[in-house]
Amino acid sequence: MKEEQSKPAPEYLLGSPEQQSWMKKYFFSPRGLGFLEPGIVGLDDAKMSAYNVAKSSYQIRPDVFNMNYLSKTVGLGKEEIIQRMQRMYEQRTIVFVMNPAVSVYGWGLYYWMVKLNENTPPEAKAELSEWFQNKDDICTGYECQGDFDFYNGNHMRVIDNLLYDVLEPWKNRPEVKYVHLCPIRRDLRESHVNQFDCPGDGYREVLWGPGQIEKLAQVQDKLDLPDLKIIQALNAKRPMEDFFDFKVLAEVSGLDEKAMLDGIKELVEVKRIIVPLFHLNFMKLNLTNRMFVIRLFQNIPCCRKAEISDELSAIKEFNTVKEFSDSFYDIILWAYNEITDIPALRAKLNSYSEIEEIKEADMTRMYRRWVCRLDDQNGYWEECVFTDDFLQDRTQPGGPECTIRKGAK
Amino acid sequence: MKIDAPRKYVIDNLKHFLNPSSIAVVGASRYPAKVGYKVIQGLKDWGYRGEIYPVNPRADKVHGLTAYKTITDIPGPVDLVFVAVPAHLVKMTLEHAVAKKAKIVVIATSAFKEIGRGDLQDRLTQYCRDNKLPLFGPNLVGMGSPYLNFNCGFIPYLPIKGPVAMISQSGANLLAALGNSTTMHFGMSFFVGLGNKADVDFSELIEYGNTDPHTKSLAIYIEGLDSPTAFVKACTSVVPNKPIVVIKVGGSEIGVKAAFAHTASENEGTSDAFYDQLFEQCGVIRATTFQEFLDISLALGLQPELKGDCVAMITNGGGSGLLSCDHFERLGQPMQELSSISPDLGLRIRTYMPMFGSPLNPVDISGTASPVHYKGALRQAMRDPNVDMVYCSICPTAVTDVPGVVDVAIEMYEAYKPLGKPFVMECQGGAECLEAIIRLRNHGIPAYATPEQAVNAIVALRKYSKIKEKFSKKK
Repeated sequence: MKEEQSKPAPEYLLGSPEQQSWMKKYFFSPRGLGFLEPGIVGLDDAKMSAYNVAKSSYQIRPDVFNMNYLSKTVGLGKEEIIQRMQRMYEQRTIVFVMNPAVSVYGWGLYYWMVKLNENTPPEAKAELSEWFQNKDDICTGYECQGDFDFYNGNHMRVIDNLLYDVLEPWKNRPEVKYVHLCPIRRDLRESHVNQFDCPGDGYREVLWGPGQIEKLAQVQDKLDLPDLKIIQALNAKRPMEDFFDFKVLAEVSGLDEKAMLDGIKELVEVKRIIVPLFHLNFMKLNLTNRMFVIRLFQNIPCCRKAEISDELSAIKEFNTVKEFSDSFYDIILWAYNEITDIPALRAKLNSYSEIEEIKEADMTRMYRRWVCRLDDQNGYWEECVFTDDFLQDRTQPGGPECTIRKGAK
Repeated sequence: MKIDAPRKYVIDNLKHFLNPSSIAVVGASRYPAKVGYKVIQGLKDWGYRGEIYPVNPRADKVHGLTAYKTITDIPGPVDLVFVAVPAHLVKMTLEHAVAKKAKIVVIATSAFKEIGRGDLQDRLTQYCRDNKLPLFGPNLVGMGSPYLNFNCGFIPYLPIKGPVAMISQSGANLLAALGNSTTMHFGMSFFVGLGNKADVDFSELIEYGNTDPHTKSLAIYIEGLDSPTAFVKACTSVVPNKPIVVIKVGGSEIGVKAAFAHTASENEGTSDAFYDQLFEQCGVIRATTFQEFLDISLALGLQPELKGDCVAMITNGGGSGLLSCDHFERLGQPMQELSSISPDLGLRIRTYMPMFGSPLNPVDISGTASPVHYKGALRQAMRDPNVDMVYCSICPTAVTDVPGVVDVAIEMYEAYKPLGKPFVMECQGGAECLEAIIRLRNHGIPAYATPEQAVNAIVALRKYSKIKEKFSKKK
């Protein structure tokens, strides 16, 4: 733990060879937020077909995933795997999603943390919670307990739209102590799966801490070890041929098998702009996620900040790792309380002399993730509500809006 | 896909299309702004009384109704399957519909032939044909009937009850007609959006319209005819009983491409002249503008055919009379002077006009005409055995009692309806004329806001009479 505390400043200087080599280390070079790149495809593009067919049918046809590969990997019969996946879905313990590299799609991914004043009446928090739950523009959101009360996120093209439309309606309420914007600069890991901005060649590696999966199988009664192995195998870094069964996808959809394979391979493996993955509904498994929100001293250069993010992302117990930009805070890390040595993680974080402050909170309610509603209690499990602010100026009252937003009012 | 003639199993199953006892809505959504939600909302709001089964594997309940994972999980029988899922799920849905022995499937989903997936569309169509499951769509907006309180699709209006069956490839133009129905009282018997019409074709709905007791005329919006032989067969058998009006679009150079991109309609190698000839061959009346399409189908639905060329026009405005007689002539059906229609009619009508009025034809009873004058002139014209029809126009002046004239027109129409002569009205002016048009239409009188519209309608009534005569003889 000591070596981090005394780590010397890097040799990195603008224009130096070290800077150039640092730049090469990152799949996505540093860029602005909401950077629209040529080569992206719409979510209904033919290249997305394999994902779209599977996303729309896995609820009743789990065999859209490659049962030969799964059977070989987890050592269970195909029929048993199908039944297990069906049960896991019906228990609402798993959901199949796709994480897009939002920054290259032209959105900024803006998370924001909300802290309420001490002694805020529970009904005031509940009212805000309902507002966040029903605000379709919030694509990811959680109610929390601890150093802050809510952690939500939006993908938006124009930051003014976020400020005016999503934050303004409530941020000046007397019970709100602060709202801190945390725009994402690098997405390193989501739901145990390494993402586009992870260091080295770790893209799409699936990570769990030693013994975590076995422990998870013990602390709850919905998923057993073989179930978890199936999910682990699905999320594993394998070519798309192992992920989907393209024959079944073609059988379900009538679309061309090869075209679907070529399309999804290009997006996931070559362009690296989407990562399909299975997300565990940790709340259904009676797990709580601990969030560590880290603030570095402001004189820490960004190259070092990136290094720290990379170092922390090497800790497999963190199921989610993201780096912020232009914010009071710099890094967020998640780990499950029930299957992780949280004090050890905290001690590790505290060993960094560059860290000025760590805020901690546990998630107690989830609203949405990846634009997908997770509030089963309201009857909206996996209802995907995709809204964004494309072509909209929400600073102007009465301006044109997308239909879903209008319908929701 | 092409058919050579209307298919019996399709026509037999069409009774489930507008009057199903149960509907599975595949892709039923819990979110109010999504199509899959609107379909169920529309069914409920407009008074559908059959069973509704939402199908959505992610939901337990939709609209307060139990949701099913697939069609095959539904406990009861399913007459109609309405599909509002993405294109990539349609194949599986059709397989489930066949397994469930559904009677009809309606696919609202887009993204088939119109975006280059013709092969997929054809394969799905063939699958339905192999299993004798009539398929509507894909890429359609919905269908319904005001007589059955049935509005199935994402359609914000239910038209008022009336005589016109509207069959449209275009959802947008169908919606325009439906909107017109609610505001202008264009009455419909049923309406159908056909979209890409991969399987069920115009011809089968034309046959269905022939058997529907509420349908008196058929209005058909065409972007492309895949099965002209079947179309001709169906029209030929129907026109002796009921008039058919078509509007055929996509004939311009860029329109050919636009029609393909819209509803995958193929017009390459055809010309407007080809369609003129085809429509002539099968006895349908072709409209050139959408307004004319609506106007003449309404007149043909409400009124009997015009059996002769002797049209008497009663107006209080010389201007509307002039616009009318010029337009009649342009359309090849010139008006005749009243004296040549019936030598004494002019004299008799003179009693109901001031000395500066004109009994020529148009009969100008002048701007000072009161309901009493209208009543007398209309009665004389209607009663005259040499007059084949009466065309009445109101041009409000400061002294015109428009509601009073409308009362008189309705009274005279009702009184002389047994004579079987058509009666058409034109009311040009402000809000009082709009109200007059709506009241007249509510009483079964085709009424229009301009002389040209009225004349188009009258000429169509005459055309239909000739068509009927010709095709009845053939039959």
